[in-house]
Amino acid sequence: MTTLESTAIGEDEIAAFRALHARLGDAVETAVRGKREVVDLVLVSLFAGGHVLLEDVPGTGKTTLARAVAGALGGVSRRVQFTPDLLPSDVTGTSVFDPQSAEVRFRPGPVFANVVLADEINRAAAKTQSALLEVMEEHTVTVDGVGHVVPAPFLVVATQNPIDLDGTYRLPEAQLDRFMIRVSIGYPDAEHELDVLRPGSGAGRVAGVPTVSNPHEVASFGERLGTLHVADPILRYIGELGTATREDSRLRLGASTRGLRALVRCVQVHAAARGRHFVVPGDVQELAVPVLAHRLVLTREALLAGTTTEEVLAEVLSSVAVPRPEAR
Amino acid sequence: MRIAWGASVLLVASVHLGAGWQGVLPRLVFAGAVLVAFACLPLVRWAKVSALVLLGFALVGAYAVARTDEAAPASVLLDLVPRLLTAARPAPATPTLLVPGVLLVFLVALAVAVARSSFAPALGAAVLYTATALLTAGRADPHGVVALALVLLVALGWLVVDRIEAGRRLPLGRPAAVLGVLGAVTLSATVLPSAGAFEPRELVRPPVSDMAVTSPLPRLAFWAGIGDTELLRVRGPERPLRLVALADYTGATWRAASLYGPIGAVADPDLPPGARVSESTIEVTVGALGGTWLPAVGRPSAVSLDGAAVDTDSGSLVLPGELTPGLRYDVTGSTDTPDDADLLTATVPTGPAARRYVTLPGLPFSLAEYARKAVAGASTPYEKAVALEQVVRLDRKPDVEAPVGSSYARLETFLFGTTESGANAGTAEQFASAFAVLARSVGLPTRVVVGFQPVPEGPDGVRVIRGSDATAWPEVYFDRWGWVPFDPVSGTGSGPSPASKREVLDRLASIPPSPTTPPSAPPPLAQPAAPVALPPAPPAGGPPFVLLAVPLVPVLLLLALRTGHRVRLRRAGVAGAWSYVLDSLLLAGRTPRRDRAAPDIAHDIAGFAPSAVPLAAMADRSAFGPSAVVEPDAWRLAVEVRAGLRRVVPWYRRLFWSVDPRPLRRHHNRVTR
Repeated sequence: MTTLESTAIGEDEIAAFRALHARLGDAVETAVRGKREVVDLVLVSLFAGGHVLLEDVPGTGKTTLARAVAGALGGVSRRVQFTPDLLPSDVTGTSVFDPQSAEVRFRPGPVFANVVLADEINRAAAKTQSALLEVMEEHTVTVDGVGHVVPAPFLVVATQNPIDLDGTYRLPEAQLDRFMIRVSIGYPDAEHELDVLRPGSGAGRVAGVPTVSNPHEVASFGERLGTLHVADPILRYIGELGTATREDSRLRLGASTRGLRALVRCVQVHAAARGRHFVVPGDVQELAVPVLAHRLVLTREALLAGTTTEEVLAEVLSSVAVPRPEAR
Repeated sequence: MRIAWGASVLLVASVHLGAGWQGVLPRLVFAGAVLVAFACLPLVRWAKVSALVLLGFALVGAYAVARTDEAAPASVLLDLVPRLLTAARPAPATPTLLVPGVLLVFLVALAVAVARSSFAPALGAAVLYTATALLTAGRADPHGVVALALVLLVALGWLVVDRIEAGRRLPLGRPAAVLGVLGAVTLSATVLPSAGAFEPRELVRPPVSDMAVTSPLPRLAFWAGIGDTELLRVRGPERPLRLVALADYTGATWRAASLYGPIGAVADPDLPPGARVSESTIEVTVGALGGTWLPAVGRPSAVSLDGAAVDTDSGSLVLPGELTPGLRYDVTGSTDTPDDADLLTATVPTGPAARRYVTLPGLPFSLAEYARKAVAGASTPYEKAVALEQVVRLDRKPDVEAPVGSSYARLETFLFGTTESGANAGTAEQFASAFAVLARSVGLPTRVVVGFQPVPEGPDGVRVIRGSDATAWPEVYFDRWGWVPFDPVSGTGSGPSPASKREVLDRLASIPPSPTTPPSAPPPLAQPAAPVALPPAPPAGGPPFVLLAVPLVPVLLLLALRTGHRVRLRRAGVAGAWSYVLDSLLLAGRTPRRDRAAPDIAHDIAGFAPSAVPLAAMADRSAFGPSAVVEPDAWRLAVEVRAGLRRVVPWYRRLFWSVDPRPLRRHHNRVTR
């Protein structure tokens, strides 16, 4: 196993991964119509070992998407509905006294699953939010001095309503940084909306999503994809993008090194999903916004001017020279 | 923008510099040199060709043009400027003489192009303008129009270019102040008298060549013998034609000057021209004349033959090599034309400059005594000259058969002889020589001129000059009035009017041995021609092809650099092939945005260059994949993409496709980034 990890991922493995990725995508799409690119992003995050934040107005299919991914993946999936009175122990689990065996036993919370759906995460109090976010980062729940490891793969799909809606607590920047990808689903286009509205179409029915994989397969692919080749010019390009965000006058906070690392991890998976055993600049350009945008913090002036981090990032992307194959 | 401005400033200045040469060609050549220098800019900036290398090229080119067989390269190059300064003014447009101008313009333009300062064009224009002023002694721009235009152009550039390039308003104060100062300088330059202009030519001695030319004096008898042969044809005003003015008498013979320089050079004759001169231009067609002397009028100031050389003191023109029948040229010269009244009280110079014209080595006593007696009673130099003319003419007859020679012995026979051959008879040679020797002995600066008498115009406006028209006459120099011809053969000639001479002779009535007989007929006096200022004729000989080839040098250089670039790309495999595609995109005017990755670019041009898509995939795989890829098809695909791009670009882009330096610049920028 150790020797296998040290060798780069081969082209046959890439082909197998590509097939798996396509299967998962197709399976999820039976429930979520016309949002293949969003599905792909969620899957990238799944294989990259990161977590997804789905941000959109209510009713666009956030929960359906998360449950469909869980269904297609197999394994254990749990759902936590975040409310203002939700306690940290409701998320992580707690120690209870078992009268039969007369001992204190750990009762795992809903985070002990392969796919955890944290619904409307910004409606809970900060304390509860941070309990979840800690598990996301550490993959461990510590109760009474004993660490309990969550299963692998471990994917948290959090959904949140836009911050300006009533009854929400905004997630602090440091915690937003723990999500690998933030993506908004958006309304479906007219054709797909018709499809969804048509009675008996199966859209939105999570129960009908076929299970096409298992957590073990996903976890091993996730590890193997970490060895996919990323050429130096690509890494340099990613570094330049990060520097450009840090130097942009409209941003109070640029991309963190953790954010750039996440980007590297994501482009590896993305390239493999496209059947390539190497990363091209196009992968970086495609993933930069979903991976980095939520980690950037606008200055007060830019915020008041109505600028969004996505716009800033798009401008940064167009201003940094992309590496091209060129003779020296 | 800045470059275009600098180029236009220098274009104006360089075209102005062309005023120092004859014709329009130099202006075009200089303008071309400016353009070539600016065209070399990409080589300096992007191809890292050092400006010194270009300078070396320019010098080698200059040497190739100005090369002479015997001189070392260094001396050829060092001689360029002196050669120009000693050439005629305006200089003939020969390659050798154009080279210093082209070099100067090229260097200045290159320096201006390379230096990005906004003061560089002003400085360059000032250098060129100063060079023009020095070369033409300030005559090229007498009213300062060009200077004003340059100042305005420079000021306009300062006001506009900077603002456009900086994208912001500049304070108007600084350019306005500079403009004001320059304007004041220009204005004062136009108002101040331009007399006493600095003349760089005075610092250089005109090169003189020692030419073994023989005096044509003895040929007079020969020409008289072939009296009907047509020697030359002349078109123009009726003037005596001069072959040579002989100033040096050895006692045995008259010797012609042997040192000749280019015509129009600045050196003044040893005795200055008179106050009244008339200029005339004639067109000469040589017939059976032969020899090396070029017939001319007066002191020649311009001649349409490139090789003609002049002895400034005597105004004699020679053409190295033999005159060939059919040779045709225009010659402009000025003749002293004093009024009769001017001469009556005129004095003659006695200083060292005139000593040459009164030298008589070993003068026999008899001749001196004869002259002294002849001028007894004459009080002014003019009276002496008229008296001597009378004395030499009287009782002596022209005889074409008489022995030739102008030694003291021959002159004694001519003047005092009784029976021997040649006594009291001679050709114009003896008459003129006798007058000159006698006049010199009484202190009149005198020389002997060999030439042709004016002949009446034929029906077609051509004067045909035959052997019998060849003659010689003496000339006496008077202060303020210049050289005045006398005619001891007939007393007529083109000098002072016979009436004036008769008046003098009447006053000196007691001096001549016998009463004078008035001239038989009123002489055909020449009407002074109106001063004519004909533009110099275009230079003879082939156009300086070498100079026209100079602009080709950067083009060939660019072609070579581009070819080398392509070979390098081809060797670099897939990445090189993609570089080639990017070069082609640049040349086609479709430079992709900097954030467009290879597949995006390929997608954009897939419509007319479908080969780009597989090539982009190959290139990405090669550049970003874990191991090197060998793709034998890559270069073929790149060439196909290039062909596809070429099909959709306008013709002018295709024209410069192979020599456009921008791919070199792109490569340079990428490497240095």
